[in-house]
Amino acid sequence: MADIYSVSQVNAYIKNLFLRDDRLNYISIRGEVSGCKYHTSGHIYFTLKDADGQLACVMFASMRKGLTFRLMDGVSVVVRGRISVYEQGGRYQLYANEILKDGKGDLFAEFERLKARLEQEGLFDAAHKKPIPAYPKAIGIVTALTGAAIQDMVNIAGRRNPYVQLILCPAGVQGEGAAETIVRGIRRLDAMGLDTIIVGRGGGSVEDLWVFNDERVARAIYECRTPIISAVGHETDFTIADFAADLRAPTPSAAAELAVNEVSLLEGALVDAHAVLFRAMSRRLRDCRNRMNGLSIQLKYLSPAYQLDQKKQRLSDVETRLSGLMKQRLLLKRKELLVLAERMKAKSPLDKLTSGYSYLADEKGRMINSVEKTAPGQKIYASVTDGEITAEVISVRTVNRQNR
Amino acid sequence: MAKKEKTLEAAMEELNQLIARLETDEISLEDSFSLYQEGMKLLKYCNDSIDKVEKKLIVLEEDGGVDGV
Repeated sequence: MADIYSVSQVNAYIKNLFLRDDRLNYISIRGEVSGCKYHTSGHIYFTLKDADGQLACVMFASMRKGLTFRLMDGVSVVVRGRISVYEQGGRYQLYANEILKDGKGDLFAEFERLKARLEQEGLFDAAHKKPIPAYPKAIGIVTALTGAAIQDMVNIAGRRNPYVQLILCPAGVQGEGAAETIVRGIRRLDAMGLDTIIVGRGGGSVEDLWVFNDERVARAIYECRTPIISAVGHETDFTIADFAADLRAPTPSAAAELAVNEVSLLEGALVDAHAVLFRAMSRRLRDCRNRMNGLSIQLKYLSPAYQLDQKKQRLSDVETRLSGLMKQRLLLKRKELLVLAERMKAKSPLDKLTSGYSYLADEKGRMINSVEKTAPGQKIYASVTDGEITAEVISVRTVNRQNR
Repeated sequence: MAKKEKTLEAAMEELNQLIARLETDEISLEDSFSLYQEGMKLLKYCNDSIDKVEKKLIVLEEDGGVDGV
């Protein structure tokens, strides 16, 4: 069995389907009004019907400027708005933005036809649209000489950047002949080589704004070489001029904000840029200096003078070691010699003579150290400390001294 | 209308690119010096190009004249 949904889930799902349908979100419907009720809240509830059906409609108080006459039952009208779902009631209905008496309702069809034709012709191409200069010096405005629109723009522009020159070319913004004055204004300002042009007017009824759906105005905007911002009516009003302009502003005030840069921000950015530039340069210099110090140390170690010094130092070290070793060695030898001398001294015959021993020799000077080397009657010579004694051998006797 | 020189936008853009280059290590000290000088010139240009005189609204007249300067 499939999942089970709550009523509100289903309503939300269906509403979402409606929201995703472009056609339902922007639709014009012709019909006859019935059951019209002006609610105290300012909302208007009515039903639109024709021979075969009916459709619930509401116009919220916030949209009331889209209605310029008293709505009554039985009147034939064209309603523009969107169809959506009222979830609490589980009903779909038409949310009206504008209501025109039938006959005038043809304006909408005309609007759509012109829009389609100009779009086809490329008047709305994104590729044609020029960027709005970020830092303008002079801005042209085509709008009515009197009215809130120009006042708002002058105030906002002055507050954001009083150094921007505003040039107003007054134009009619509704009714007969308005389109011509707007076209003339655009061309005149365009010829002045300004940074940006704003063309528009404050809010009003659909009929009031209609001049901005004029083909001549759209073409003048398209042909304008100066970047141009459209600013017609309120947020919800869309005109052909808006599509042709390089940028659409929702209101004249917004256009002033889009066109005029905030001078304090620019000044801040310049101060920042100065600091960044200075920091980058300082860092670079510091790096270079560090690198140079490193290199100079390296260079010092590699220089011939340093190398020579190093070698001299090593030579002297070796010399010191060498002479040290030599001294040590001499000392050692001297000690050995001393020991030898002592030993030699112990063997000295003179010493022996002093202690009473004497050296015996025969007549020919040969050493007599055995009874065998002499005989009785022979002369012998005994050397003592201070001379020599001549004696005669009387007898000899062998004595065994081995076992002493 | 004054003849169009370098726009403030172009100068700001140039300044940003210049700073980015100065922040890399791949340029010689000589180049960085000239970049720095160039940057200071650009800054001066940007500052100078903000014409700090408050402007009054100019209203063009129908006959081509100018009113309310």
